[in-house]
Amino acid sequence: METQQMTTLAGVLDKKMNRQLKQYLDICARCAICKDACHQYVATQDFKYLPARRAELIRQIYKKYFTKTGEFVPALYEARDPDENLLDELYESAYACTGCRRCMYYCPFSIDTAWILSVAKAILIAAGKGNEMLGQLADAALFKSDNFEMFKDVIVDGFKDIELQVKELTGDPDAEIPVDKQGADILYVALAGAHSILPAAVIFHEAKASWTLSYFEAANYGYFFGDAVKARQIADRFMDEAKRLGVKEVVITECGHAYRVAEIFHEAWSGEKHSFKVRHILEVIDEYITDGRITVRPDAITEPVTYHDPCQVGRNGGIFEQPRNIVCALASDFRDMTPNREQQWCCGGGGGLVAISEMDEFRLKSGTIKAEQIKATGARIIASPCENCRLQMEGLNDSMELGIEVKAIMDLVLEAMPLAGSSAKVTPTD
Amino acid sequence: METFLYITAVYGVYLGIGVFVIGMAWRTYQWATTPKSPVRLGMFPKPKTGAARVLKMLKDTLIAPQSARIEPLMWAFAFAFHVAALGAFVGHGRLIHEFTPLVNWLGEDGMATFAAWSGGTAGILMLAAVVFWIARRTFGPFKQLSVPEDYLLLALLFGVIIMGDHMRFVGTIHAATYREWFQSLLVFKPEIPDDILRSTTGWSLGAHMLFTDLFLIYFPFSKLVHAIGAFSANLVRSE
Repeated sequence: METQQMTTLAGVLDKKMNRQLKQYLDICARCAICKDACHQYVATQDFKYLPARRAELIRQIYKKYFTKTGEFVPALYEARDPDENLLDELYESAYACTGCRRCMYYCPFSIDTAWILSVAKAILIAAGKGNEMLGQLADAALFKSDNFEMFKDVIVDGFKDIELQVKELTGDPDAEIPVDKQGADILYVALAGAHSILPAAVIFHEAKASWTLSYFEAANYGYFFGDAVKARQIADRFMDEAKRLGVKEVVITECGHAYRVAEIFHEAWSGEKHSFKVRHILEVIDEYITDGRITVRPDAITEPVTYHDPCQVGRNGGIFEQPRNIVCALASDFRDMTPNREQQWCCGGGGGLVAISEMDEFRLKSGTIKAEQIKATGARIIASPCENCRLQMEGLNDSMELGIEVKAIMDLVLEAMPLAGSSAKVTPTD
Repeated sequence: METFLYITAVYGVYLGIGVFVIGMAWRTYQWATTPKSPVRLGMFPKPKTGAARVLKMLKDTLIAPQSARIEPLMWAFAFAFHVAALGAFVGHGRLIHEFTPLVNWLGEDGMATFAAWSGGTAGILMLAAVVFWIARRTFGPFKQLSVPEDYLLLALLFGVIIMGDHMRFVGTIHAATYREWFQSLLVFKPEIPDDILRSTTGWSLGAHMLFTDLFLIYFPFSKLVHAIGAFSANLVRSE
């Protein structure tokens, strides 16, 4: 690789530099206490997945290009140029990371390795080595918004099909899935497919909520890809919609990263304060149950149920109790996993890994700790409010024969709600 | 020996302290003037008030309870080292001024016994921790992760501590004599007392100070800047 190109890549690090990143790169003691925090390292014992090692690759560039001591005595820090070898190592370390930040939780200095790896991804993208699949998915999302008129009718027709099921379930011929409704209280942002729209639509209907459905899905592959500009543009699609419709709050469906992007990242990326609240759908459902706006049968689920805290919803999103409240309201045998909440093990499906087929084997192997945790509870149902977690746990269920059912919380709520309509529940199709 | 002591225990001390203070100030200035990430990097659960946030930061930095849970042995050595190092640092305050209230309370002999026990304990704890760290870095992923900087710092620390322990356990010179030397540095009229020059312990002091000088000079350019950085990085945890 040309020197000029390596200097340009190091320049990406300079462009991304901020106080936190600089401190993380300066202070890590390489104590490797983080090694037992990472599910990928614990499951594979592969050095490249050790969190401090992943960050060390960026530190090697930092030392070489941005510190005098590293420039003069590179050997002291094993400082390196961002050459082909380093970029290959960086790719494997950065795109494998699920961004669960469990290493940060245990680090004595709270070093956010996932944040350092977001810079690694930016460097890889600048070198033309970003993950192809994640990049394509991000571009596809933007293509949809750039050519919205082309897709609009198909999207709305899809919503109308789901609306029929809502009418059937609620027994209300006037039940609807409102779209583009000016002045609604809530803009609900779902995932592609009926599974995240139907239960929410029924719940909103029963709670008599003023809501409208976003044209755009919550999933954000720009975020997984590591391109902050694309990630912001993907989130802008529904954030702009929320502004245009004048809603009071944006409610994100059962998705981990989309919630974090909307609640934590978007204001910082856009440099603009939201004129509305951002909440996770489970916060809303918990409130509806508490306020009596919807009813769930307390013993609707008698089989043992456990709950998996998605990293981006729990440790990185701050929602711990609401999902447990909901599950406990409708299931008679709730069994929490150990450890749980902020110490919870990542299932292995985050970071966009479920979309990268070449990582399938590794991904499932990295989920063995989660599978053991699930087994230990003896639960027959595992509920989790994140699509990637659910896909991963379905994979673990198949590969490790756990004999469990993986469900979204909204699905459990739907099962537990006494509805006036069809007693045979409609199974949403994707 | 006199020349050696003048280099390590006089000029080296001025240089070491100078580089350390200016280097750490420069490093802190660099951090402070680099713009903060606009994205909040905290994790949950978060303290609700500013005061609770600071308390949590202090707890995370000074006790690191999460690290204790995940690798108790490493935490125990690290905690023992830092507490002992703080104790030793405070104990070295006797070089500036005798801890008079303590002497009045314990008596001359009592003070000597207390200093011997506390200084000795700190010296042994620090040595044990450094030996543990060196041993830990010689195998498996810890070895793979280690870079020369890690060994250099451990070697310097080992030198500082072992020579300090030698002066504590074997040396025959007492605090009052060292105080004479150190106070002469403070008033910029450096002088090495004859008692030190005449004793073989002088060589130990010279070696102790050589390692200390190098340690202080390298400190601001090393990962040890976590001495300051850990506080602000842990504060980010709950922003």
